[in-house]
Amino acid sequence: MVTKNKFFIAISGVAVIVALWIWWASVNPDSEQSLVTFLSVQQLLVEEHTDRVRLGGLVAEESIELDDTNYLSCNFELQEGTAVLPIHFVGVRPDLFKDGVEIVVEGKYTNGIFEADILQTKCASRYEGDLRDADSYNLDELDT
Amino acid sequence: MIPVIGGLVLNLALGLAIVAICLHILYLRTGDGRLFLSGQRAALGVSLLSFFATFILVQLLINSNFDVDYIAHYTSQETPLIYKFTALWAGQSGSLLFWLFILSIYSVIAILQNQRSHLKLMPWVMTVLVTVQLFFLVLVNFITNPFAPTEADFVVVNGLGLNPLLQNATMAIHPPMLYLGYVGFTVPFAFSIAAMAQKEMNALWMRTVRQWLLFVWLMLSIGIMLGGWWAYQELGWGGYWAWDPVENASFMPWLTGTALLHSIMIQEKKNMLKVWNMVLIIITFTLCIFGTFLTRSGIMSSVHSFAASSLGPVFLGFVFFIMVASFGILSQRMNLLRSEKRIESFSSRESGFLFNNVVFIVMCFAVLWGTLFPVISEAVRGTKITVGAPFFNQINIPIGLVLLCLTGVGPLLVWRKTSTQSFIRNFTAPILAGLATALVLYIINIRGYVLISFSLAVFVITTIFLEFFRGVRSRITVHRENPLTAFWRLLRKNRSRYGGYIVHVGIVFMFVGFTGHAFDSEKEFGLKTGESEHLSGYTFTLYNIREEERPNHYAWISDVQVSDQFGKNIVLLQPEKRIYFHRSPDPERRQPHSELDIYATMKQDIYSIFNSIDLENNVAYLKIMINPLVNWVWFGGFIFVLGTIVAMWPPRKGKL
Repeated sequence: MVTKNKFFIAISGVAVIVALWIWWASVNPDSEQSLVTFLSVQQLLVEEHTDRVRLGGLVAEESIELDDTNYLSCNFELQEGTAVLPIHFVGVRPDLFKDGVEIVVEGKYTNGIFEADILQTKCASRYEGDLRDADSYNLDELDT
Repeated sequence: MIPVIGGLVLNLALGLAIVAICLHILYLRTGDGRLFLSGQRAALGVSLLSFFATFILVQLLINSNFDVDYIAHYTSQETPLIYKFTALWAGQSGSLLFWLFILSIYSVIAILQNQRSHLKLMPWVMTVLVTVQLFFLVLVNFITNPFAPTEADFVVVNGLGLNPLLQNATMAIHPPMLYLGYVGFTVPFAFSIAAMAQKEMNALWMRTVRQWLLFVWLMLSIGIMLGGWWAYQELGWGGYWAWDPVENASFMPWLTGTALLHSIMIQEKKNMLKVWNMVLIIITFTLCIFGTFLTRSGIMSSVHSFAASSLGPVFLGFVFFIMVASFGILSQRMNLLRSEKRIESFSSRESGFLFNNVVFIVMCFAVLWGTLFPVISEAVRGTKITVGAPFFNQINIPIGLVLLCLTGVGPLLVWRKTSTQSFIRNFTAPILAGLATALVLYIINIRGYVLISFSLAVFVITTIFLEFFRGVRSRITVHRENPLTAFWRLLRKNRSRYGGYIVHVGIVFMFVGFTGHAFDSEKEFGLKTGESEHLSGYTFTLYNIREEERPNHYAWISDVQVSDQFGKNIVLLQPEKRIYFHRSPDPERRQPHSELDIYATMKQDIYSIFNSIDLENNVAYLKIMINPLVNWVWFGGFIFVLGTIVAMWPPRKGKL
């Protein structure tokens, strides 16, 4: 017969082991993408972070330059408030990526340019467009 | 006019809910049967009014009444009829009304089904159900009213339309299933609170709660799996689970609910763990409400989240109220719930179940920790941290593997104490099978978690196979039945046990599928017509880019021929790039969407995404992924559902 105490100890033991495991994993993540700090562009420029970080902001107007030789490579500027940061991204650009769009990038800042490998556009579950009155529609729009 | 009626119906329902609660409280004080009857009718009335309000909103949606803000924002003239209907749960206020609608269905069933059998509990059951309804009525009446008029000083001739991502058949089923699961936990919760309040926990109560739980848990499981399926088919990042806050929000009550399904069996068979089960029911229900809060409050950014809103504090208040009230009652009833019996041995089935419970709870905590980590970190250290999928995988893979192992061990343990002989008899073959698998995998140079996962899968499957084999064999010798009849009768005689085993088989298949993730490969490239790229021994050649205009979108279709290393053609993949609202003069409104194409076999999926098109140079940007074993996840899901249905199937009358 196992006493209640022994059981209690066994279960607490399991709980403690797992708690330690979760703590250990939080301190020693096995991938640099596990826990990423979210910074403002201003902070990045002032504090000179060289580790992997995540930034948010708007794509500066008319800043997108596509590479002629590599279809997937592009340069643009990320704007947050008054701070502007040049960004280089290689990869497939999301559907909604264009001037003025709110985006999130993840990557490293080296030698004055931010090398991003994750680029996400913020998308809303609903269209945040404005409703329009009848005059602003084309006739053929309403036919369908 | 009709929207006004909708609003009024919601007002009335709110008033009636308050009346119903008062009547039940009065009845509990006075014992006057007339109050009970009126209370019951009022409770039914609240549900009927909620149905009515929902039907009004559906009617308005279908008739495109753009005077209502909700309808103008989520549908348009050209939205197909079916999606006008599903827009009911596409947005914040509509989906809250839908929550209420489903809760009302459950309430009516619970009230009518149990009014005789659970006479003593019903006043409390109804009070709890109506209180939850009241909460949602407050939300749709005061905070986000689905019938609110459009704020525009002109006549709105067309609405904004439903997000094309949500215009998908799976998306029409996934939310209702998830809601049926989420919302359904209210009923067992109500019965538990009632049982504690009335100090009455008999076998009948137990059976009622268990049956509800199984059904609700099945709905939640299907909802979660459909969500993964939808993400995989539609979102185009090649995965089915991203550890997104909202996914986690549905996974946490599933984990505690699964723990509960197991531990409640011990209460049924051994009358133990009563306090623990109560705690689990309370936590599961709280997590359901908390999950809804995570989705709605906007404190987490996620693909699922609705626009930020003022719902947060109200929800948090309600979560707090549930916890305080439920644990308050529980602490008052501790003496009643204490069990005389003790677990006798570590090698008993009770102990196996208990450890399974601990692991489920621990996993739930790990998920909660990761989900709330950004919030906690910002509050404590002032830095915003985003938690990625690798973090969740790192923590949960080992815990998941322990669970998989217990799936095999638990059912073979014997109640009270497993003797050494029965241990050897039951475990020798499965352990040998597992070890043999491990050896073979080691030789073909597979290591780490993959090796452990596949070996455990073989181990568990062997244990389950042996269970069926022994059962069938003994029926063949004792009853002289042929193997098929024996198998069928075995299932029928003990549905919950063998149904459970079938669920476990499904789980093992799913784990095999999850493990396939370790072998994923992908490549992104741009192709002109006639050009080719290679990945994992396959060649992808772009034949052609076609254009097509369809009723609500414009599509570019790339014909990608896939051939293997011997040059043999395997399949023609046709991923599409679509522009919805292509006729809109406002470029902001034109919404691009990638419709992907998948070639799926049990071995692997070839997954193709047409990301974007460069019209000047005629280049198609494609992303190709090879995802091994994904079909095992869906196949496992089918078996899982099948097993649950077997376990749930009501016994024939008179054979209880």
